[in-house]
Amino acid sequence: MRQEQFVERHKVEWDAFERWLHARGENPRAARRGAAPVGLDDGEVPARYRRLCQQLALARRRGYSAPLLERLQALIQRGHAVLYRAPAPRWHRAVEFLVAGFPQLVRSQAGCMWASLLLFAVPLVGLFVLLQFKPELVHQLLDPRQIAQAEAMFDPADPRQALGRDSGSDWQMFGHYVMNNISIGLRTFAGGLLAGVGTILVLVANGLNIGAVAGHLQAIGHGEPFWRFVAGHAPLELTAIVIAGGAGLRLGLDLVAPGRRRRRDALVHAGRIGARLCLGVAAMLLLAAFVEAFWSSTQSLPAWLKYTVSAALWLLVLGWLWRGGHGRAAAEDGDAS
Amino acid sequence: MPPQAVAAQPRPAGTGTAPVPMLDTYREVLTPEGVALHLPAAGPVPRALAWLVDLAARGGLMLALGMVLGLLGGLGQGLYLVALFLVFWAYPIVFEAAWHGQTPGKRALGLRVVAGDGAPVGWLPAVVRNLMRAVDMLPFGYAAGLLACLCDRHGRRLGDQVADTLVVHVLPRRIEPRLPAAAAMAPPQALQPDEQAALVAFGERAPRLSPGRQAELAALLQPLTGTAGGEGVRRLYGMANWLLGRR
Repeated sequence: MRQEQFVERHKVEWDAFERWLHARGENPRAARRGAAPVGLDDGEVPARYRRLCQQLALARRRGYSAPLLERLQALIQRGHAVLYRAPAPRWHRAVEFLVAGFPQLVRSQAGCMWASLLLFAVPLVGLFVLLQFKPELVHQLLDPRQIAQAEAMFDPADPRQALGRDSGSDWQMFGHYVMNNISIGLRTFAGGLLAGVGTILVLVANGLNIGAVAGHLQAIGHGEPFWRFVAGHAPLELTAIVIAGGAGLRLGLDLVAPGRRRRRDALVHAGRIGARLCLGVAAMLLLAAFVEAFWSSTQSLPAWLKYTVSAALWLLVLGWLWRGGHGRAAAEDGDAS
Repeated sequence: MPPQAVAAQPRPAGTGTAPVPMLDTYREVLTPEGVALHLPAAGPVPRALAWLVDLAARGGLMLALGMVLGLLGGLGQGLYLVALFLVFWAYPIVFEAAWHGQTPGKRALGLRVVAGDGAPVGWLPAVVRNLMRAVDMLPFGYAAGLLACLCDRHGRRLGDQVADTLVVHVLPRRIEPRLPAAAAMAPPQALQPDEQAALVAFGERAPRLSPGRQAELAALLQPLTGTAGGEGVRRLYGMANWLLGRR
């Protein structure tokens, strides 16, 4: 069959397919709502698409001209993009993910999470304890300006310091925490691509830094305002950093030791897991920023209330990670969550 | 064509054609239907330009926001920082996932992010490839990303490799090329498919070349046409017409 006859025979079909693509293919939400009919039934489209593929293959085999092949190819490319697109995200999926899917995912990566916890907590606690016995060591770790700043911020003799703020600066600090802390969390994950080294560095450095500040303040007797300040947001912030670190370690581990998969496939797999963990981490850190800006900074509340709320939050976060989504079938690499 | 005629074909033909060696950066993806899609991968230069356009857009946005929010004191500063966070991290993710794989910069440069198999990019891959920018930026100015891009066959930076995505050129819709009508003439000998394609391509592109160049190209085919100069060009047009089935 010559090219022009071939075109004549199938042109109507191609035009109909193109019209359908134009009307229904562009927007998944509109397609889901069910817009006006466009001459081609939705259920018929996959079959039409396969016919088109067959026609392209035939046209290639017969050596038809490049413009015709290109037109068919373009139609198929657009059809492929519509038929194989990811489903549109839905809100209830997002909620479901935060409540159940995320803790499940964290538990499924338990090994990396424990390793991350060790990398973060051992320097933190070790340094804290060390500074109680050798307080002068802090000058090796922090520069004098940082020390002075931390001391001033949590000076129990000066109640007007940074802890009691007006609402304007609360908002300012909220913005600062969002920008700063979530960026750190996301970078902790991304650093895993450097064979895990980036993640390990961030975890250990953060552990050392927090341990140094906490240990120093405790040692010089500024502990009380410090603990009151951090108690509120620590449950969310510290666990979030550890989880981001776990995701980064997973990525690094899959790069170094992909097991029986191709290194590239292993990376892609770890990347998907890490991305979902990062979404949860970002949500946790957003909540932490909220707590840190608007709750931790309130001066007037008594210490016992702050510690009670902190304990409740710890229980809530750990219970959520431990039992959340328990017994529910694990979502297999769901793309839409 | 009735369905049974389709089934009577010995096998899907698309996979049967001889692989044409391509000198371009096309990435060929075989769809589940057995047809090869050609994805024209984009190199580092247009992508860097798109990034600069995006940078300018983001800078302009933050400048405008800064002026408005500056009036609000501490609250404004907080909102400004939140906006900075969103513009820095969420801008590429949201645009790529929700706007056909294009940020404004990519749209300006005619680029698009697609999944490795040519399908539209989903939310998770968009998140991965943009979080990984933190590594691609190392040690300065996207040096790691550029290096990875130059080493990869399809110009993917590290983030693309982890997310299994690809940045492709959006091909402009072509104007239907017009083959000048000429008296159809059968080629004096049977031609291979790629030779036929070359003849038709010549017919479609030659009208945009100068007559001298047309004749020069046609002279290469003297063994086929038997003549040179303007007559050779006309004969090639005739053969192209014949190959398209116009008689």
